Amino acid sequence: MKNILVLFFYVCFPVISFSQSISGKVFGKGEKGEKQPLPGVHIYWENTQNGVASNDTGNFEIKQKEGQHMLVFSFVGYTTKKLHVHGSAPLEVVLEPNLEIEEVTVVQKDRGTYMSKMDPVHTVRIGNAELHKAACCNLAESFETNPSVDVSYSDAVTGAKQIRLLGLDGIYSQLQTENMPNLRGLATNFGLTYVPGPWMESIQVSKGAASVVNGYESIAGQINVNYKKPDDQEKLFLNVFASAEGRKEFNGNTNMKVKGDTITTGLFVHASDLSKRNDHNNDGFIDEPLMQVVNVFNRWKYNNFKGFMAQAGIGFMNEDRLGGQMDFREDMERTVENPYGINIKTNRLEGFLKGGYVSPSGRTAVALLSNFAYHKTNSFYGLNDFDADETRFYANVVLTRDLDIYGKNSINTGVSFVNDHFNESLYSNPITRTEQVPGVFAEYTLKPNEQFTLMAGIRADFHNNFGTFVTPRMHMRYQFSENYTFRINAGKGYRTANVVSENIFLLANARPLLWSDDSFQEEAWNFGASFIQDYVLFDRDLQINAEYFYTRFQSQLVVDRETSAENIILSSLNGKSYAGSLQFDMRYQPVERLDVLLAYRVNDIKQTIGGVLKEKPLTSRYKGLVNFNYTTNLKKWMFDYTIQFNGGGRIPVVSSDAAIATGPEEFDPFTIMNAQITKYFRYWNIYVGSENLAGFKQKNPVTDAAHPYGEFFDATNVWGPVLGRRIYVGLRFHLNH
Amino acid sequence: MKKLILMALVIFFGATANSTFAQKETKVVCFKSSMDCENCQKTLTEHLRFEKGVKDLKVDFNTNTIFLEYKKGKNNDEAIAKSIEKKGYKAEKISEDEYHALVDNQEVKKE
Repeated sequence: MKNILVLFFYVCFPVISFSQSISGKVFGKGEKGEKQPLPGVHIYWENTQNGVASNDTGNFEIKQKEGQHMLVFSFVGYTTKKLHVHGSAPLEVVLEPNLEIEEVTVVQKDRGTYMSKMDPVHTVRIGNAELHKAACCNLAESFETNPSVDVSYSDAVTGAKQIRLLGLDGIYSQLQTENMPNLRGLATNFGLTYVPGPWMESIQVSKGAASVVNGYESIAGQINVNYKKPDDQEKLFLNVFASAEGRKEFNGNTNMKVKGDTITTGLFVHASDLSKRNDHNNDGFIDEPLMQVVNVFNRWKYNNFKGFMAQAGIGFMNEDRLGGQMDFREDMERTVENPYGINIKTNRLEGFLKGGYVSPSGRTAVALLSNFAYHKTNSFYGLNDFDADETRFYANVVLTRDLDIYGKNSINTGVSFVNDHFNESLYSNPITRTEQVPGVFAEYTLKPNEQFTLMAGIRADFHNNFGTFVTPRMHMRYQFSENYTFRINAGKGYRTANVVSENIFLLANARPLLWSDDSFQEEAWNFGASFIQDYVLFDRDLQINAEYFYTRFQSQLVVDRETSAENIILSSLNGKSYAGSLQFDMRYQPVERLDVLLAYRVNDIKQTIGGVLKEKPLTSRYKGLVNFNYTTNLKKWMFDYTIQFNGGGRIPVVSSDAAIATGPEEFDPFTIMNAQITKYFRYWNIYVGSENLAGFKQKNPVTDAAHPYGEFFDATNVWGPVLGRRIYVGLRFHLNH
Repeated sequence: MKKLILMALVIFFGATANSTFAQKETKVVCFKSSMDCENCQKTLTEHLRFEKGVKDLKVDFNTNTIFLEYKKGKNNDEAIAKSIEKKGYKAEKISEDEYHALVDNQEVKKE
């Protein structure tokens, strides 16, 4: 009877839950082992985000709810401590100093994706559990279960995948690996496929203009990839994957302790092959380009456990893509008599070096982050050749200092430098350019208590071609009660539009590209607000998130496919251009170990194209996503199911010329389903799954596929999946130290 | 409509979960062990959850206890104890009552 009453109570007042308070005092162990009260320690219940901070005298009080036992104490410079709390007696906790900044690990069911309430920047963290939900294979495919990021093919022949964040093209999101900008310039089109999934430890997606520390580039947001670290527990990891379509893949990584925990090294290998020509839609074109990839990476880590850490790595990648008509062979002479073909050969060498020093007090830290990349591509699209290489160097030095001992005021300041050299050649036009951009920045963070954070930053960059420009950005977070967190952000972003190289896939159409400037600077303001509600409903966390982001371009590269029947025009914006994105999502566990995510987003993206403000073509007006993830007790089985509802949108057609056989001006909404089952064993796990389970395909992704050298040929009007149902199976093996 | 699908799923999963776990008779065995850090708890959990027949498992380093439920006929207490010892930890068998006494009445360890 009592239970029924409690249940009734929960139903009526889902927001209220019974709780008692635990209080205590936190000490830090000093150099001579003496105890000192420790202020500012982050104290929270394990697997929740409900936390408090100890006050100036080290005292704290935290509410305890049903089912909360493990209390976690974490503070920079000290080893994180977990305590099993029973009863309500006051606690006395002593933290041991630890100079290495460690991350808090989460045991029990990893929810995969986690939205931080503490970070002032609206950030979604995608952890290992989430990465296991997707088939494999690379960064582009890791967002299938994510409501914020859309992934689509840019055309029907090259297999290039593009992401959209806030409905905006991937170029407006800054891609980073290990907190350093990467995969830009020539790597823009295929960069997402250069990061093998099993190499990744986690991905962070933040929306809106990001922190100024990493540069001026992020406009819609930032996507950061963290690779597995050489000092991880994992000694050996192997993964094989095969799809019914004939794609075979191998991934492996191994860690070695060269000198105890001080010097460690990791080796990463990826090889994949797709040699089977598939044409399921019978248009005479290969559905997915044939591909051979080899990718290796070696990284090193040094940690002296006295505050100094350094990491370095070097990697090489070789990729060969071949697409076009089924009968095309690479050695064929390229004439209009022979079948149409596309070939893209890429070689990429990249490396990084970073180091950091934390002062013994833990209040000051210096970090150097630098990377370089040499990228060379030789390609042809039908009769057109495109050859390019890029050499890029980036360095950033950041000084972080807490202005007071509680860490309530801190400042990040530093200098950065970018040198980027391009050689390109299209239609026998050589395009050469060098960008050199030194920059300075400062960012102030005010965190008077656990509830409020204000982060304001500004940077100035001195560009050799575009002159001096200033980037101001601001983020604010306010958690005005345990259940409600509110965030706003505003900021400016810039980027260099590489007019030809980032649109090179548009060569897969009959109309030649027409452009006047080889490069110019894009500029935009971004504003955003989000509101997160956290409740405990039937003892389980319920999170509801609502967010709105608005981006307004002052300068933008506009792709005009509809004004001229002779050319595709790449020109700078003349008029208005904006993007609005409104998203709601909800996460809950209705029954134990079943995680449900419901999400819905509306896009309103308009651009002035040919003098008229129009909806951005080939972009869905909305997206709905439902994801179910169920694991059995002790996580021996995992079931995952995702359904995406993509809204309709506009197809660009040339309106002026009636003679052109125009297709429909609209595409209809479509649905995509993915499912996967994973069975875990002690050292290995096996997974079977299907992408695009219902097999929905865009009809005629290639316009006039029968006449690839004719005047109506176009393989770039792609808005939906080109491939139907794909079934795959994979195996992962791991050994820990 | 979405609500309906959701409810159907909840019922479906709930039902399958119940039926699979109630199928066979199970046995509970509890141990006192010698873990001294959280990593040991993790290692043992990862190790023991894949022992034959294991249905439920609680490893706790604070009380140094292991609670394990397995399908009868698939495994036995001795084999499980051996498996714990193989990983380098003590496996001193205790009764279920003793286990609950340890876990329920434990005081927070004071440093």
